[in-house]
Amino acid sequence: MFNQLYESIVIGFKAVFQNKGRALLTMLGIIIGILSVSLMGTAINGIDNVFNQTLGMFGDDVLYVQQFPWFMGNADWWEFRNRPQIREEYSEKIAERASSISYASLETSRRVTLSYKENNSEGVDLGGRGWQSAYIDAAKIESGRYFTQLEDQSASRVILIGSEVNKILFPNVEDPCGMSIKVNGLKFRVIGVFAEQGKIFGMFSIDNMAVIPFQTLKSVFGRSRWITIPLKIREGVDKEYALEEVRSITRGLRGLRPLDKDNFAINQQEAMEDELGKIKTSISAVGIGIAALSLLVGGIGIMNIMFVSVKERTKEIGIRKALGAKRWVILIQFLFEAIIIALIGGLIGLGLTSLLVGVVNKFFVASMSIGLVFTALGVSIGVGIVSGIVPASQASRLDPIEAMRFE
Amino acid sequence: MSLLILKNIFRIYQIGDIEVRALNGVDVDVERNEYVSIMGPSGSGKSTLMNIIGCLDTPTKGGYELDGMVIHQEVKDGTGIASDDQLAVIRNQKIGFIFQTFNLLPRMTALHNVELPLIYGGVPRAERLERAQAALEQVQLADRMHHKPNELSGGQRQRVAVARALVNNPSIILADEPTGNLDSKTSHDIMDLIDNLHKEGNTIILVTHEHDIAERANRVIHMLDGKIHEDNKKK
Repeated sequence: MFNQLYESIVIGFKAVFQNKGRALLTMLGIIIGILSVSLMGTAINGIDNVFNQTLGMFGDDVLYVQQFPWFMGNADWWEFRNRPQIREEYSEKIAERASSISYASLETSRRVTLSYKENNSEGVDLGGRGWQSAYIDAAKIESGRYFTQLEDQSASRVILIGSEVNKILFPNVEDPCGMSIKVNGLKFRVIGVFAEQGKIFGMFSIDNMAVIPFQTLKSVFGRSRWITIPLKIREGVDKEYALEEVRSITRGLRGLRPLDKDNFAINQQEAMEDELGKIKTSISAVGIGIAALSLLVGGIGIMNIMFVSVKERTKEIGIRKALGAKRWVILIQFLFEAIIIALIGGLIGLGLTSLLVGVVNKFFVASMSIGLVFTALGVSIGVGIVSGIVPASQASRLDPIEAMRFE
Repeated sequence: MSLLILKNIFRIYQIGDIEVRALNGVDVDVERNEYVSIMGPSGSGKSTLMNIIGCLDTPTKGGYELDGMVIHQEVKDGTGIASDDQLAVIRNQKIGFIFQTFNLLPRMTALHNVELPLIYGGVPRAERLERAQAALEQVQLADRMHHKPNELSGGQRQRVAVARALVNNPSIILADEPTGNLDSKTSHDIMDLIDNLHKEGNTIILVTHEHDIAERANRVIHMLDGKIHEDNKKK
């Protein structure tokens, strides 16, 4: 039994390698199918990674009062654009009036150039944040400290820098805290460095940012048009409740009447989660669609080539049966041939995926999971079995006399 | 007791509306260590008879016993017929085939070709190799065992086939025109080899249309129109 099984597998392998070119062409469909399945899986894995990193940036219990919603959908951009600005004093007022909020801060930003001696870091996203952000921001500080209430209120020239900025400005300095750098030519003292956060689509990562007190930014660069008010929800308070409370307070600040629509947005991490969910769903749909189609085509290709293989080997099948090969032995021989073709196709597909993932990784962190590899191989074997079973069963039923006469 | 008993064998093909009786009531008994040749013009049914004896084909009607085993049982309106897989086992264990066109697998060495019946018989690897080598030595091809069929001459190929027929110690060796594709010199050698197998105690049934080859056997059966026409036993 084992001997015969072994023989069948060996013959299956030989059959594939005797017709390398043909087998490779046949594999194309499977290769593309597995490639799209595994790329899809990897992309979704990448999105999950991105999401987990954004968790590090936007706290789970933080609401952001802003002029624009994070995801506009099909709505009219001008409607948001024409809304009145979010004003600095809202922060204090919300903090005063909302019982569900423990801290309210301010955020704004602009692009600047940072320099230390001859090292320059251009186009850095410089955030101006209220001192309360120390209690709201989820970003960790690796060395040094956040600025104090006094430093904010007195518009001190102190700065915290992200890990990438640190590497560019201070390639040879272990801890830059206490050193002076220039922000658009103005001297600032470094008081902290943020912990490295990693890549998120190569953009909005704290690694490429620097942060100074809100009042400092205002006094140095002037009043900003775009202000965000981050609000920390008091511990133990229901999020929905906090959202409603903030909404009604903000409506009051805006002077809206009961039937007026909100002319501001309260953003939260959940919205991002929903949006990423939508992206994941559409990637899955496209990926599964392409994969299903190419696996179908690949499967038909294998079936076709297996019918050819059975035809070519008719005489051989006849001889084997005459010498005592039972039906299952012949069946297994051809089934293995089909499975081997599909499996090698699957492996090539996975190989290509890992190459592509290497490229993708330059933009965001994504990796092929073991589960994905097994799924892909399982799918390949499945396709091999499904497309090989009919030709193999046909081969196993051949009449030995007829088959031996075949030339 | 006879080694092989064929009772009232019919093999009827239905081609459209026409009924072709390839075998039309054949009775044959063969003793152990007999050397039988079957002759007859083409269409006389000799190949069909060989196929049924070799368990490659099943009779439409009639009984067949081989080596004390009932393979097809004659029942009232037809035959209790063995299944495809059952026949495969019988072919594997009881029958050795020698074909006119050798029927070796082209991509395998002589040794592997000879091993094949043992693989399907489930013989362990070490024993298999030993027995296959011994069979090749018996046909004087020990030095060619790792050659593939296309590296061998016609006579050598047929020797490989003979070794393959021997290797499973069959109850009966069936040779269907074994010299049909060989020149007269090699034909002679192969026939000497088959004569030797007989002398060693094997039972041999040979289909041929050449008289001098048929005469080597000690029993000659002539077939005509699906029936046994003459059955001559020599002393």
